[in-house]
Amino acid sequence: MSPQTYAYALLLIPLASALLIACFFRRNGAMASGISVGAAFLLMLTAGHLIFRIENFAHDTHWIELGPLSLNFGFLIDDVAKLMLFVVAFVGFLIHVFSLGYMKDDPNKARFFGGLSIFMFSMLGIVVASSLVTLFIFWELVGFSSYMLIGYYFDKPSASDASKKAFIVNRVGDFGFLIGIVMTFWVYGTLDLLELERAVNEDPSKLSLPIATSIGLLLFCGTVGKSGQLPLHVWLPDAMEGPTPVSALIHAATMVAAGVYLLCRTGFLMTVDAVEIIAWVGIATALFAGLTAVAQRDIKKILAYSTVSQLGYMVAAFGLGTLVHLNHGASSHEAVVTGGVAAAMFHLTTHAFFKALLFLGSGSIIHACHHEQDIFKMGGLMKKMPVTFITFTIGLLALIGTPIVTAGFHSKDAILVLAYQQNSLAFYALVAGAFLTAFYMIRLWKIAFFGDPNSENAEHAHENGLVMTVPLALLSIGSLFGGFAWFYPEALKPVIAAGVQLNQGEGHGAAVGFGVIAWALGLVLAFVFYGAGAKEDRFQKILPPIHRVLSAKFYFDHVYNWYVANVQQRLAGFLQISEQLLLSGVIIKGLFAGVSGLVGIGLRSLHVGNLHAYVYWFIGGLALFWAIASGVF
Amino acid sequence: MNEFSSLIQFSIAIPIVCAFLTLFVKNWGRPAVQILGVAGFAIPTILALLLWLWYDPSEPGGYAFVSNFDTGLGIIGASLHLGLNGLSLPLFVMASVVGLAAGIFAAQSKAENLHRYLFCLLIMQSGLLGVFSSIDVFYFYFFHELALIPTFIMIGVWGGRERNYAAMKVTIYLTLGAMLSLIGLIVLYSKSGADSFDLITLKETLAAQPLSESVQRYAFGLLLFGFGILVSLWPFHTWAPLGYGAAPSSVAMLHAGVLKKFGLYGLVQIAAPLLPQGVGLWEDWIIWLALGNVLVIGFICIAQRDLKQLIGYSSVMHMGYAFLGVAAMSALGAGGVVIMMVAHGLTVALLFQLTTLIHHRAGTFEMDEMGGLAKKAPVLAAFFVCAMMASIGLPGPGLANFWGELSIFLAVYDLRNWLIFAVVAGIVISAIYGLRAIARVFFGEETEAFQEAQKEIAVKDITWAERTPALILIVVLVFIGLFPKTITTSLNDALRSEPVYSQTASLEIDE
Repeated sequence: MSPQTYAYALLLIPLASALLIACFFRRNGAMASGISVGAAFLLMLTAGHLIFRIENFAHDTHWIELGPLSLNFGFLIDDVAKLMLFVVAFVGFLIHVFSLGYMKDDPNKARFFGGLSIFMFSMLGIVVASSLVTLFIFWELVGFSSYMLIGYYFDKPSASDASKKAFIVNRVGDFGFLIGIVMTFWVYGTLDLLELERAVNEDPSKLSLPIATSIGLLLFCGTVGKSGQLPLHVWLPDAMEGPTPVSALIHAATMVAAGVYLLCRTGFLMTVDAVEIIAWVGIATALFAGLTAVAQRDIKKILAYSTVSQLGYMVAAFGLGTLVHLNHGASSHEAVVTGGVAAAMFHLTTHAFFKALLFLGSGSIIHACHHEQDIFKMGGLMKKMPVTFITFTIGLLALIGTPIVTAGFHSKDAILVLAYQQNSLAFYALVAGAFLTAFYMIRLWKIAFFGDPNSENAEHAHENGLVMTVPLALLSIGSLFGGFAWFYPEALKPVIAAGVQLNQGEGHGAAVGFGVIAWALGLVLAFVFYGAGAKEDRFQKILPPIHRVLSAKFYFDHVYNWYVANVQQRLAGFLQISEQLLLSGVIIKGLFAGVSGLVGIGLRSLHVGNLHAYVYWFIGGLALFWAIASGVF
Repeated sequence: MNEFSSLIQFSIAIPIVCAFLTLFVKNWGRPAVQILGVAGFAIPTILALLLWLWYDPSEPGGYAFVSNFDTGLGIIGASLHLGLNGLSLPLFVMASVVGLAAGIFAAQSKAENLHRYLFCLLIMQSGLLGVFSSIDVFYFYFFHELALIPTFIMIGVWGGRERNYAAMKVTIYLTLGAMLSLIGLIVLYSKSGADSFDLITLKETLAAQPLSESVQRYAFGLLLFGFGILVSLWPFHTWAPLGYGAAPSSVAMLHAGVLKKFGLYGLVQIAAPLLPQGVGLWEDWIIWLALGNVLVIGFICIAQRDLKQLIGYSSVMHMGYAFLGVAAMSALGAGGVVIMMVAHGLTVALLFQLTTLIHHRAGTFEMDEMGGLAKKAPVLAAFFVCAMMASIGLPGPGLANFWGELSIFLAVYDLRNWLIFAVVAGIVISAIYGLRAIARVFFGEETEAFQEAQKEIAVKDITWAERTPALILIVVLVFIGLFPKTITTSLNDALRSEPVYSQTASLEIDE
């Protein structure tokens, strides 16, 4: 079979699964979950074949032509795409399996599994897409599947609001993304990724046009929305209203990382100015979200802010690495994988392992504690849920970058090395972020797992079945060894090895040294604060004003809510009223009444001549309008 | 004459024949009327699909299936000259499909005097198919009037709330718009010196000898505002939400979906190619007024509480994109307008149908008095989410809508660089009102008013009879989205043969 057959299969399998469930098994949760998990398994096999047995390839079919616009539907499978494909298909399958246990008793689970299949379809579409338009189409579709799954418990007003918010905030990002696509078309004359790269290589002068920087930043707007970068991060913590497997798959491991993937796919369009801004946005996000996570009480919110923070690291990695490349590297863009892409994708991969693991672990906890999410109402879970405890701990150790033995250490190290080479302020900011990560995660860990149970629910917690623990175990392996190049099969090595190699670069000693100090400091401090488990937040007592700002998430939501209520709604209301008053009635009728009063035609015509007068006034007004418009006056 | 050209004549004639037959079979009972009515819509649809399949634009002017009848009006240069080109074919097919959906939905409605209701609707359908297949400008206008008059009657007789006021207002506005455009067309006829209403002749004459700048200015001005009123160009749009709010659902489906496109089609097919300079002279006007459609009406959509009004306003908003596509005077712009008209026609008809279904269940259009309907009617919710997502241009159900918007956005950037920011803001605005509507109607908890209403109405999910028209619309919409070449290949050829539409990327970038 030709290579593209497998690529088509990647899209058609989950689509068929979703259609089957929607049409025939809406009420049959067991069948629906079976179909969806079976599709995920088939997808993993197909993806495996595509990754390991088939060389990199591109394939295009002509899709639409209109004037100068000619678009293909096609696939572009390169090293970066293969790595992403591996992450999506592998983590995706494990989360499907986990969901079998997690959603076991849910009466509407057919809708859940159908949604997961739609998600797999759209996400794989992003991974294999060969042009910006195709990518954008699937980009919008993952937004839709995310909307659908966040709003899974749609009768809960909070879930309904969160799903709406996620979609609209993402559309704000897509506003920029779409304009970026339009400008790309007019500047480079194509939207195909390979042709774009060729166009840039043939005529690098286009990159020095001022508009090139705008294009880079506008495309980055897509990332800001989807990957929850400042200031559009507000939807991601709220998205935790969805079922926990959804949070693990979509809002931690894959979809939110699609923004980073977009950057890696379009890296050759970036200019120095654009990349510099991108890097700082990433760094600011990493720090801001880390600080916010310190003061949250909801286990999923802590993990969500941690995700935002880690996505900041990935974006910063791309920015810093590309900056290194543009400033010092080869003048041509033809390098196989640039440092920025390698570091970003490396961290994306390890993060997918350990963050999915952490979310599934939290799901396991929430499931066991009868949907309690406040960590201060947990406590003492270590003894009740040993497997979850061990796997969660592994994920946590990887996230905080425990030296040598975890994947997170190596991928974070690569980013720190790039930062060291580029800018010392960036370097210290990212080290501070690493400190925060260690602090808030150990805080969570101590409070939830140690001490005595702080509530009824935690008292009765118990370990879950194998369908839920086996995926945890598999993800643990990735979280531990995913930082070593030998862990990966040959086909995935090009990108990973380039990432690992960064760790030998200039500034490696400083990166490791500061990284370990930050790690140790965060760890020790959290132990001091939350030593034997806690019922209340000690931090809140010591520094109440700072804690208040942090727990209010720096008031972003307050500002946006104020804007919506006081600016957007008022403007809409004002326009609505003026529409009613000015256009539909008062002016025309009022004028008529006034004039008729003046002329003394009186009340009679108001009754009798209503329709006629209306017509005359309308024609008169229109004639006037037309006369002015055509320049008679 | 082409061997299949009679199919166009049949598809115009069959609805009229069925219309009169329904009046005769009314004594045979309701099923006979229903079957005959649906047949009057279904047969033209099948014919239209066949024409789509067999389309081969080999005849003069890029037309296919051309036929010509002398109707005794040769003295003024008008004859019934029928045919389809790349611009009109997609609209002709869309009109037939929306007509079929509206017809099926009308046949199951509880309208009093169903046979008369279907009679009016069938006459309307005949007019619509005539509009898009007329090469003769006179008949183009004639068929529009043929479709318009039943609209007024149906709003006045079978309409809902405020139907008399709505019928009056719609009549005034639309008659005025039609009159202005008629004057514009007559100006074209008399000033061109072609002594013919035939579009192909007109084009040839005016290509050889274009009209002077001043004539172009006022002729295009007449057509712009005449057609503009018909397409609800801001600020001449107020008839639309009101009219659609009051109109019976099948009328709203057919009018918002198809008849409203008459004006845009007139601009793209007739006004712009014949008066290219006129478009340039009015360019700023079109841009600013169309921005009124996109931004002002967009915000007004956000403030709506009545679901049907919201759909009406949102359709007004989308027309802004179309006007901008016209102003761009490029293959991308004009092509985008045609794709958008097709996609929007299918989508808005779908939304009006589903809105009526929601009304059957909640007893109201007030969104504040609904909530939580997805629990009782999950499939209806899925249909509505799908329709709303299509309407706000989400590629997926709305892939066709997305193609239209993308082409227009590309064209708009070429027209004025800064304009793109204002226009693309529309995708955020439409997401806000679209998702709010979904959330308020279907998600969350049931409002007290809705619980109250349920004491009188037993809420059940969408039935198969109700699903049929919706499915027809969705299937065609998705098909065109997935396989856009089925319309863009011929569309592109037609646009290429119009020298006034620029083909190339100008690549001018101002900073």
